[in-house]
Amino acid sequence: MTDRTTVHLEINGRAEALDIEPRVTLLDALREHLGLTGTKKGCAHGQCGACTVHVDGERVLACLTLAAQAEGRAVTTIEGLAGPNGELHPVQAAFLEYDAFQCGYCTPGQIMSAVACIREGHAGSDEEIREYMSGNLCRCGAYPHIVAAVRQAAEELTAQKQAAE
Amino acid sequence: MNVIETRQRGEASDGSGVGGRHSRIDGRLKITGGATYALEHRLENLTYAVLVPSTIAAGRMTAIDTKAAEAAPGVLLVLTPDDDLGLATASDWFGNRAEGSYRPLIPEITFNGQAVAVVIAETLEQATAAASLVKVTSEETQAIAGLDDPRAGEGNLVDNLTVSWGEAEAALAAVPVKVEGEYRTPREYHVTIEPHGLTATWEGDRLTIFEPSQWTHGMARSYAEWFGLPYENVTLISPFIGGGFGSKATASFYGALAAASAKKLGRPVKLAITRPQTFTAYGGRAATRQKIALGASEDGMLQALIHRGANETSMVGTWVENTGAATPLLYAVPNFSSENRLVPVNTVTPGALRAPGKNPSAFGIESAMDELAHALGIDPVELRLKNHAERDPQSGKPWSTRQLREALTAGAEAFGWSRRSPEPRSMRDGHTLIGWGVAIGTFPVIRAYGEALIAIRKDGKVEVISGAIDMGQGTYTILAQTAAEALGVPVDQVEVRLGDSSLPGAAVAGGSMLAGVMTGAVHKAASAAREELIALALNDPNSPFRESGANTLAIANGQIATPRGDGPAISIAELMARIGRDRIEVKRDTLPEALANDVGRMKAWTTMSLMRAPTDGDYSMHSWCAHFVEVKVDEDFGTVRVSRVVSAFDCGRLYNPKLVESQWKGGIIMGIGQALLEEGLIDPRRARVVNNNLGDYLVATNADIPDIEVISVGVPDPHASVLGGKGVGEVGIVGVAPAIANAVFHATGKRVRDLPITLEKLI
Amino acid sequence: MRDFSYHRAGSADEARRAATLPAAMLLAGGTTLLDLAKCGVTEPEQVIDISHLKGLDDIRVDAEGAYIGALARMSHVADDAGIRGQFPAVSEALWQAASQQIRNMATIGGNLMQRTRCAYFRDPATFPACNKRAPGSGCSAIGGVNRNHAILGTSGACIATYPGDLAVALTALDAMVHLGERSVAIDDFFLLPGGTPEKEHAIEPGEMITAITIPASPAARRSTYLKVRDRQSYEFAAASAAVGIELETDGRTIRDLRVALGGVATKPWRARAVEDALKGKALEPEAVRRASLLAVEGAANHGGNHYKIELAPRIVARAILNAGGAA
Repeated sequence: MTDRTTVHLEINGRAEALDIEPRVTLLDALREHLGLTGTKKGCAHGQCGACTVHVDGERVLACLTLAAQAEGRAVTTIEGLAGPNGELHPVQAAFLEYDAFQCGYCTPGQIMSAVACIREGHAGSDEEIREYMSGNLCRCGAYPHIVAAVRQAAEELTAQKQAAE
Repeated sequence: MNVIETRQRGEASDGSGVGGRHSRIDGRLKITGGATYALEHRLENLTYAVLVPSTIAAGRMTAIDTKAAEAAPGVLLVLTPDDDLGLATASDWFGNRAEGSYRPLIPEITFNGQAVAVVIAETLEQATAAASLVKVTSEETQAIAGLDDPRAGEGNLVDNLTVSWGEAEAALAAVPVKVEGEYRTPREYHVTIEPHGLTATWEGDRLTIFEPSQWTHGMARSYAEWFGLPYENVTLISPFIGGGFGSKATASFYGALAAASAKKLGRPVKLAITRPQTFTAYGGRAATRQKIALGASEDGMLQALIHRGANETSMVGTWVENTGAATPLLYAVPNFSSENRLVPVNTVTPGALRAPGKNPSAFGIESAMDELAHALGIDPVELRLKNHAERDPQSGKPWSTRQLREALTAGAEAFGWSRRSPEPRSMRDGHTLIGWGVAIGTFPVIRAYGEALIAIRKDGKVEVISGAIDMGQGTYTILAQTAAEALGVPVDQVEVRLGDSSLPGAAVAGGSMLAGVMTGAVHKAASAAREELIALALNDPNSPFRESGANTLAIANGQIATPRGDGPAISIAELMARIGRDRIEVKRDTLPEALANDVGRMKAWTTMSLMRAPTDGDYSMHSWCAHFVEVKVDEDFGTVRVSRVVSAFDCGRLYNPKLVESQWKGGIIMGIGQALLEEGLIDPRRARVVNNNLGDYLVATNADIPDIEVISVGVPDPHASVLGGKGVGEVGIVGVAPAIANAVFHATGKRVRDLPITLEKLI
Repeated sequence: MRDFSYHRAGSADEARRAATLPAAMLLAGGTTLLDLAKCGVTEPEQVIDISHLKGLDDIRVDAEGAYIGALARMSHVADDAGIRGQFPAVSEALWQAASQQIRNMATIGGNLMQRTRCAYFRDPATFPACNKRAPGSGCSAIGGVNRNHAILGTSGACIATYPGDLAVALTALDAMVHLGERSVAIDDFFLLPGGTPEKEHAIEPGEMITAITIPASPAARRSTYLKVRDRQSYEFAAASAAVGIELETDGRTIRDLRVALGGVATKPWRARAVEDALKGKALEPEAVRRASLLAVEGAANHGGNHYKIELAPRIVARAILNAGGAA
């Protein structure tokens, strides 16, 4: 007998209610049930990082998170990153400027990871960026450009923060 | 067509024309999650299909029990080899079509992971769970696990790959300096981050397929032929592709299954290949081995080259991974002999993976050249320059362009090669041994035909429309640049629509040919559109230019004016309004007269039979590169880290250097993974690749990759393509692995001849 | 993945009770449970979510040592200033494990319960034989691809490597695992496979890891974790060593030494023979290298993993010399 459950999620600030089986992952809930396909499925086993989203502001893998586990927590996906009028987040803008992607499939995960990486304070040097961005595989080989984009965005965000203080 | 004029305009520094460093025009969609990949199209009433793989590698399935699966919640359909789906065979890549029916599932098992059933259910979770309930009974026979299996044997000679000139054996016996070695590469995989799969949906006798595709027209043809449909009844849609590298150019058995299921159910079916299944639903790069003997005079002039190569293929299909692909091209050698063999083993039929043939071939010859340089006591760069081939040694034709000497020189200069201490193990920093290595690479220029439609809209914007695809190479962007330049409008006034088989024809995005083919087609169509617009502006009774007395007009930055600027000047949108036109459409193809008909077009867009080889014509045409690599090897642990790469390329003219550099670096990075990490590990008993996931089949991470410097030394090659470019996408990986192996030898004094160079080979 | 019911536990006691039901499993970070459920290795009928429980994620460091709640996340522990200052090997083992995304999800308790990466264990459809998964069915890794398999602590029933990093550091530093009512020394928490490889931990039905504690010591303060692998990041260890060292006031005589190995054994592997051989001796590279060979006494080679026998002692030696400042 298939057990179903109602899961209440807050995705990009919007409340969503889903009637799903408990075994549905957050990734499949986003992609198959909510039409939020910006979060990508690359391996479904926590080995590629394409499904990186933020839960309560921290980067996690949606493929190893049950949708039910995210109830009561704030989920942010790539669709929720740009400003209300579509203004790009500094990380997104830097990815475009530095050509930090080719096919674009790992890109939402890279960007969500990079935003968190900077926020965590793990973008202090190129070496640290490389290590803390290594949970996101890119087969097109955009790594050097990703490092450049994260470095640039980190500098920009730090300057913004200092200006605000 | 005036290539020189085009090139001059392309050098505009504003980045708008051909040759400008324009950012990807599809970039915004990709960084906001707005780019819709194949499995992301939302369809009503969707169902989910999951494949059931065989767990044996050889034998015959005698029974399949689907009762439990069929009874599982949500299951709608289970297909097995017992189901005749009523499909006909489809043509091969070259348009040859055998008679008979096509069964995507068969009871004869020839590799571990071969699909034996497909389960379709209401949800992905239900289909996945039910797939595990299918019970297969088989009579198992002993499998040949791989190239190393003693029962695999020496394989069968591939006659048309036997190349020889001079007297190689005799010459080798007579030379004072010779080296011999056997070089091996393992099974390697594409590992596109987007796994394969599709959604199939029918409306009456019209089939729509959403599938990542390097070739919408070619794949649509397969679906049409399987289902006995007119070609026009199939639409294959693929606007974004999450990586291909050769693996997404063919419609496959699982596509047939999804489409047949959708037809049976009267509902759309989504079939997603799981990550482990990406190792068996289609083939990766075949494992190879090659013996190479080089002989030279004491001053380092090559006298003899003998090459004996082999690659694995499957029991049911032929895949030639030509280990002799680069061997005859690189150096001037008076006595040459090369042979290649195919060794059938129990694997899925291998396939094309970035620079098929050229890649393993370069690992062999470029490792061997390094061994020869060491044996001679000659610098490896100098040895390569000394033996530079002034013309194609095999065809005897002159090179169209070959800036290989320049690549070696410029690369060496940027790398600081002159500071290299020649002795192995002579450079170190504490526990770290440092090594510098060099190798060259090549990839042929393959030419084909394309078609493009240019539309000028009443708002002054320009549409470029083609069924060609962009999997990250930058097709969207360079076609916008091409159209913008030919028409005289800014790039941001150009919209490009790609990735749909119902759109104008294109060649496969493979063999590094698409950019050259499609810029040519777009340039032709856009130039014609420009002429048409000018003709209208001069002749339309409502045009302000009608009385200008000019016999032509200039279009620049979206403005139309008289050539001397002494008449009216208006925007394209205004002209369209004045002359009362909503849209001007111009379609052009690059086919020669003899092929400019329906049969010719079908052949050109849906088969590879019209592709032109690099030596077809008066010249031999290839891209070239030289890689310079620094490695750091921990002498206790055997771990190798690539710490610096400088690569110089001759790819002719670059349509967009920013995007080209990304592709070159991408190739180099895949090459670093190939050199140090990637290997399908085969269980000898079950002939199964056991590391069939991204935690165990290792591709490079960000932390594995240093800064990479790429340099262009190319010059426009008017023979290679309309706008002067040569192929870019594949040459970057060719030569990387041997450059790293050579650097490892320089660091450690250990020569590793089998990839990947893992730590146990160095401790 | 088979279907299951999902319950959110209201308290640790409720979770423990619920987990005693047949085929019920606790869910914390989910990085192991969901992965293995997708592989068909675990088939829970009921999943008890404990990830929301309050008060189980404290990280406290004082003069006595560290207290780490079972639900503290790996990333938080890795970045904790007290842990970094007093137990550097713990922080280093954590940030070199998995990826930051996984470390943000995975809990310390769940990390200790992590299962092996043996490819045969993880593929029940193709390789039904696995004593760890199906007791008595055999071991597919013996005679198979076993480059990553264990050289130490193996049995005829199982050669699967314990894959984690954190527990290696904890083993070197004599951590305690708290299971509610009782506590177990970390070295006793992990079991050798012997004839019962399915039983990996000294944890009984109805028990749940509530916390770990690590005693403070000069050796812990001067500790390090050295991980060697094919890939620079996001990979399990080919071999690793956690080392803590205390030198006499002369700055060269070894007063206290702790050594544990990862990636080479069926459980986190304490190398007491190395410790005993070097305690009271001078921190001298040649002596350290010689003594480090004792780390792999009794090691068994299964074909593909032979290199670990040479590699592991070299890592131990480097880690000791690094920690002692003599590298």
